[in-house]
Amino acid sequence: MTPAGLLKRPGYWLALCWLGIVAATGLLSSWLRLPYLSTAPDLLHMAAPPSALHYFGTDVLGRDVLAGLVTGAQRLVKLSLPAVALATAFGAVAGGAAGFWGNTRLRLPLGALGLPAALAWWLLQLPGCVYFTVSILSISGLYELITSRRQQALQIRPLTFALPLDSLLLGIATLLGALPRLVLLIALAAGPPLTLVQLLALLVLIAWPEPARMVRAEMLRVRVQPFIEAAWASGLGPGRIWWRHALPAACQPLRTLAPLSLAGLIGLETALAFLGIGQAPNAVGWGTLLATVRQDPSAWWVALAPGVALLATLLALQKVAASK
Amino acid sequence: MALPNQNAIDVANLLHVSLLQVDYKSNRYAPALAQSLPQVTLMGDSLTSLDYHLRPAAAWDNGQPVLATDVDFTLKLMQCPGLPNEGARAQFSFIRKIQLDPANPRHFTIVCRGQATELATASGDYPILPEAVLDPTHALRGISLAALQDWPESRAPAPAVAALVQRYQQADLARHPERLPGCGAYKLAVWETGWHLLLQRKAHWWADALRPASPVLQARPQQLDFVIIPDDAVATLALRRHELEVYSPVPARFFQRLQTSAAAQRELFFYSSPSYDIVTAGFNTRRAPLRDKCTRQAISRLFDPVALLKATQLGQGSTTIGLLPPTSPYYNDSLPPLTYAPARAVALLQQAGWRRQPDGTWRHPSLASPLTLRLRYRTDETTFATAALQLQAAAAQLGIPIVLVPTETSVLVSALRSGDFDMYIRLVRGSPFGFNFMPVLHSNAIGNGNFTGFGTPATDRLLEGIAVEGNERRKRLMLRKLQAVVREEMPLVPLFFLPIRLVASRRLQPVATSGLKPGYMPATLAWATADSLRAPAH
Repeated sequence: MTPAGLLKRPGYWLALCWLGIVAATGLLSSWLRLPYLSTAPDLLHMAAPPSALHYFGTDVLGRDVLAGLVTGAQRLVKLSLPAVALATAFGAVAGGAAGFWGNTRLRLPLGALGLPAALAWWLLQLPGCVYFTVSILSISGLYELITSRRQQALQIRPLTFALPLDSLLLGIATLLGALPRLVLLIALAAGPPLTLVQLLALLVLIAWPEPARMVRAEMLRVRVQPFIEAAWASGLGPGRIWWRHALPAACQPLRTLAPLSLAGLIGLETALAFLGIGQAPNAVGWGTLLATVRQDPSAWWVALAPGVALLATLLALQKVAASK
Repeated sequence: MALPNQNAIDVANLLHVSLLQVDYKSNRYAPALAQSLPQVTLMGDSLTSLDYHLRPAAAWDNGQPVLATDVDFTLKLMQCPGLPNEGARAQFSFIRKIQLDPANPRHFTIVCRGQATELATASGDYPILPEAVLDPTHALRGISLAALQDWPESRAPAPAVAALVQRYQQADLARHPERLPGCGAYKLAVWETGWHLLLQRKAHWWADALRPASPVLQARPQQLDFVIIPDDAVATLALRRHELEVYSPVPARFFQRLQTSAAAQRELFFYSSPSYDIVTAGFNTRRAPLRDKCTRQAISRLFDPVALLKATQLGQGSTTIGLLPPTSPYYNDSLPPLTYAPARAVALLQQAGWRRQPDGTWRHPSLASPLTLRLRYRTDETTFATAALQLQAAAAQLGIPIVLVPTETSVLVSALRSGDFDMYIRLVRGSPFGFNFMPVLHSNAIGNGNFTGFGTPATDRLLEGIAVEGNERRKRLMLRKLQAVVREEMPLVPLFFLPIRLVASRRLQPVATSGLKPGYMPATLAWATADSLRAPAH
């Protein structure tokens, strides 16, 4: 990038710089030699304002705010970034498939019906869970084996059914979207504190419908484009066309959506931490730091540092998304 | 019967009246339902007889007099098997017999085991309940108090007792206290669980006519509106907006900030006094890793009581070596104060057989798992949270992971009762009037008030002896020995005594405060006169 280019879009580069600092802080937090642990209270300096000892002050429990900021950045890198990556990837594949195959174009052999039935039996832990699950899978596999041989011998078209992929996706996405995301997240996270992996899974569950809807809509446009028609004409299989040609084209809008999704997830995760839901009691993050101000409203520094960090990160992500 | 927390006890004291109640102005017991303090007679060398007369004016809401039979019924109810009276059973087990006077229905004699001086006051400190409401057929009159106390757990209760227990449970008094009318000045008007309680003064109360009016039988406010505000900042704001007249207990920092505010000084009075409440850590001695006293001693060396007191109470209150305050004449000052000593903790762990592993954890040859602890404490209390974080950080440096489990107040006691913890931090309520530590340390109280599960025949005998000992010198020796034993065995780690801080509106008269919870007597509150408004701040 030339200096002229930098001057042309200073806000964009400033935003990227800030995100880079946050990401680097989070990634390198284990190696940063901070004088205090984020969870250890300094009993001599409770709710102390910024000083040479604690550059950003301490909260009402005596925890160093700077150490808390770094742990918050680490949490962002460990939680929000993977969550948005997984949600985007899952949403893109699901939305892309729904848009490409619609409700009628994906036909599966009848024996495949056994798979969701077995899965449902196992998930719902119905009576004889293992026995019935294995039985259903065996029966459907056996049925598929016998009928395919018979169909080959008789040279008839195999019996299949159309999977309503589009309706399924839209139905699930509508179901998840029926409640506001924060309310849904609070309802799901209520209870014992969640592990990082459980929280990650929850965030992915909340976040995937948005990219899925966008990729599906884009796929509806892409699949009638001339280059896709050409691919069909050249005799390529549907899976290959979808994966190699249609999906990459349909995923273009995600470049803009991903930073916005990340901003949304950071906001959600911070809100959960602020409310203390699903968090380990000694977990420290930007949201938990903001929450401790409630215990001592005069300790403005406890809110200032994470507040500024959060605001700057969200604005930077907006800026990056707008610049795509 | 079941009074799960201090708030419940405070409200019960307004709805009901005890034989004797503490006068916060003099900090002494004064007669309430009783006409005077009991007449004490020593019987032989191990029993005390306490002679009581009830006030002739004392009456229930329906006009029926409060009689000795009601006291008899209350004492028996506190010992009935099958009722939620575990705390009362342990506390009042020294009362062995009540003798009613056939010639005078307001006269009775209580016979107590032991000859301790404090038995006279302890024998009257429980609210008297109406026999006519819970036992209209007088079924309990045929059963002696001693028989109820000594009823074996394995034996089915007597039919009369079983019927009473069923009636009590059907009344669901924990949710409907209004079904058990008291002879106090107030009745429950509104109860919104967890945040609001409104008590209204009865239009005609039997004690109104008493002259001179006893301080413990005053009921000045027409209504008492209690609001539970879990957020201290919100409570302070409500106080500044004149939405609260009294705020107690006030956290140290909020108290200090209000005190330094000129505007607050114009509007508020500030009161602070030492309390008898001890912030205490406890070990679950039933858990295999914590069975060895050296392990408990090691973990206790990781607390820093001095720094914690300074950090959480701004230095107010006092550290202690045991369950008695340092100002007590029975305080064992020969024991060194508990200090933060991680090196000593390591030595004690090794003495207990724990060995440090290359990965930093501690393992015991006889145990499968490394040393890890789960620490429970009340979720809404920063003092406990700070102590928990301090311990966790100190233990982490030695390679001992401590999982913090902040628990809702309503769940905490049941979790402690069921033994679902390795350690806890909580308040232990003390009293300047007696030395009955059986509810927290006796093996009979395990699972009720004794959450640590600690108790040996020797300590049980010591605790029972202290509760009834009348000889001052022997009592001092026994109490000093108890403090030494607790320090050695370390089922409990008394960290520090809290102060009581209270802020009241200047529109109220100067409030009579005490180190006893709630720190003031709500029924004696009254609006200030012009003179008292001009008085300097306390």
